[in-house]
Amino acid sequence: MITRDLVLSALFTAIIIVLGLIPPVTLGFIPVPITAQSMGVMLAGTIIGARRGALAYVLLVVLVAVGLPVLSGGRGGLNVLMGPTGGYIIGWILGSFATGYLSERLVRDGQSALLQAAGFFAASVAGGIIVVYAIGMPWVSLMTGTPFSKVIFGSLAFIPGDLLKAAIAILAARAVMVGYPLLPQRA
Amino acid sequence: MHIIFDKAELRFGERVALHPLSLQLSEPRIGVIGLNGSGKTSFARLVNGLVKPTSGRVTLDGMDTVADAKAVLAATGFIFQNPANQIILPLIRDDIAMGPKARGLKGKALDEAVEAVMDRFAIAELAERRPHELSGGQLQLAALAAVVVTEPKLILFDEPTNQLDLKNRALVRRAIDGLEQQAIVISHDLDLVSGFGRVLVFHEGRLAFDGDGAEAIARYRETAAC
Amino acid sequence: MLTSLYVEGTSFLHRMSVRAKLAGLMIIGLALFLVANPVALGFALLVTATLYLRLGLGVGEAFRRLRPVLITIAFFGLVNVVVLSPHEALTSTLRLLAILFLAASVTATTTIADFIDTITALLVPLERLGLMKAADGGLAFGLVLRFVPDIALRYAVLKEAHAARGLTLKPQTILGPLIISTLKEADSIAEAIDARGIRGQ
Repeated sequence: MITRDLVLSALFTAIIIVLGLIPPVTLGFIPVPITAQSMGVMLAGTIIGARRGALAYVLLVVLVAVGLPVLSGGRGGLNVLMGPTGGYIIGWILGSFATGYLSERLVRDGQSALLQAAGFFAASVAGGIIVVYAIGMPWVSLMTGTPFSKVIFGSLAFIPGDLLKAAIAILAARAVMVGYPLLPQRA
Repeated sequence: MHIIFDKAELRFGERVALHPLSLQLSEPRIGVIGLNGSGKTSFARLVNGLVKPTSGRVTLDGMDTVADAKAVLAATGFIFQNPANQIILPLIRDDIAMGPKARGLKGKALDEAVEAVMDRFAIAELAERRPHELSGGQLQLAALAAVVVTEPKLILFDEPTNQLDLKNRALVRRAIDGLEQQAIVISHDLDLVSGFGRVLVFHEGRLAFDGDGAEAIARYRETAAC
Repeated sequence: MLTSLYVEGTSFLHRMSVRAKLAGLMIIGLALFLVANPVALGFALLVTATLYLRLGLGVGEAFRRLRPVLITIAFFGLVNVVVLSPHEALTSTLRLLAILFLAASVTATTTIADFIDTITALLVPLERLGLMKAADGGLAFGLVLRFVPDIALRYAVLKEAHAARGLTLKPQTILGPLIISTLKEADSIAEAIDARGIRGQ
């Protein structure tokens, strides 16, 4: 890993932390306000790619573990990681990797804007939603004892918001792809 | 240090950043001026090996910037245009300590080296401060301290006063004047290099003039006007 | 801006090594999953809660820190009363709370510097395998903490620019410029790190 990759990952971690400091906004038809930070997994994967994106999240998770309140709402510390929803936080690492892995293969320079957007959307849904939930939901079930089927059922409520986040992540990813392409030069 | 450019050339694909250049430098103060994109920055990055020549070679006291890259980097320091980006740790003291630490200094010797360099640039009171709290001039002095503490023989400055107001320019100028090290200073701030014994003028990727400060500035004004 | 959750003190947890604390947290956390007796779990909770509350945080701050996770645990407790049984809901809630207070105690009694030193030491085997440089870990954390205030400032500037042009702040209009302007600095930061020979020569 060259110095520039290390720096890009660290800067992205810092961006994710700053996104957690911004007050949550209500978007469209979703009643619950969402934090910009929760888009981080999709943004990291689609913008800086698999390895650098995952490293950005490794750094974030370690900062949470060492007791810095870097998550939205000032959350941090081992209690967050060892709580019922700690699995989602671990899932972010693999989720950003998966989003990046798919983005690197689906999206190329010179494709039409629509094709790029479709590629980013597919990557964000697969990595930022499916992978994250695939790790987060069993963890919840294991920790709380709540049956897995009920956890899945309850999680469905978050899917519309997550799809909307993926749509916003696409816009940001496309803006960076045009303004300062990083994805094509893989780490 | 005795710096030799031997037909050193720098290209990025089709684009020529610096045409083959041969020259020797050993003066204690060397200025480099020219328009944006004239090759000044390429020249400076070739000197300490941050970029490798596409053809030809560059040596410092006989060390090749490609073959002996590590030794060249260890013997040189580089001050960048935006001081905020070269301070990479949250506390000024920790940042200054980082270079000597990577070179194996630790414990009391490390603390003493850091204190001494901060005293020298009169920034001791900044030790526990964070970079975003400092002025541009303070940042540039902190960056300079972080370089000087590693005891390089040659320090390169890439437009060190570019983003500074007059007061901070004066501060940085005094700091450069006070260095015992050899210095190569790239600048748009002509006052900064006017007193130098040797000033290079670059134009469109070539060395357009090589001489003393006053003459070089006069030549630069001519080429820039047309 | 980013103040650590560490609390000054001299309790035995403060004096314990970071490795011992982390290992203890893992072992006790896992062991509690083998216990299903509410009385035993209640006792564990009493012990960890006392431990946590006696660290000198003050009751208000002690609970404020844990509020989000406490809400989550309460939520799943209520769900479990409905979908499982009150007995099972009670055991799982007591267990989660006991772990929560223990984890929060470790966080509150360990400085960031000690954590980072421990992590760097744990990375040394990876360095031996040639996977990474252990010192890069410290550098990366330093970089993150160094640049958070700068990026927050950049966000404030973008917010102002929106206001000046009469635009409402939307994630879709601010994320692109914020990310591009930040990542563009990567080249000059990386160049400075290389020029200073910080990643070892």
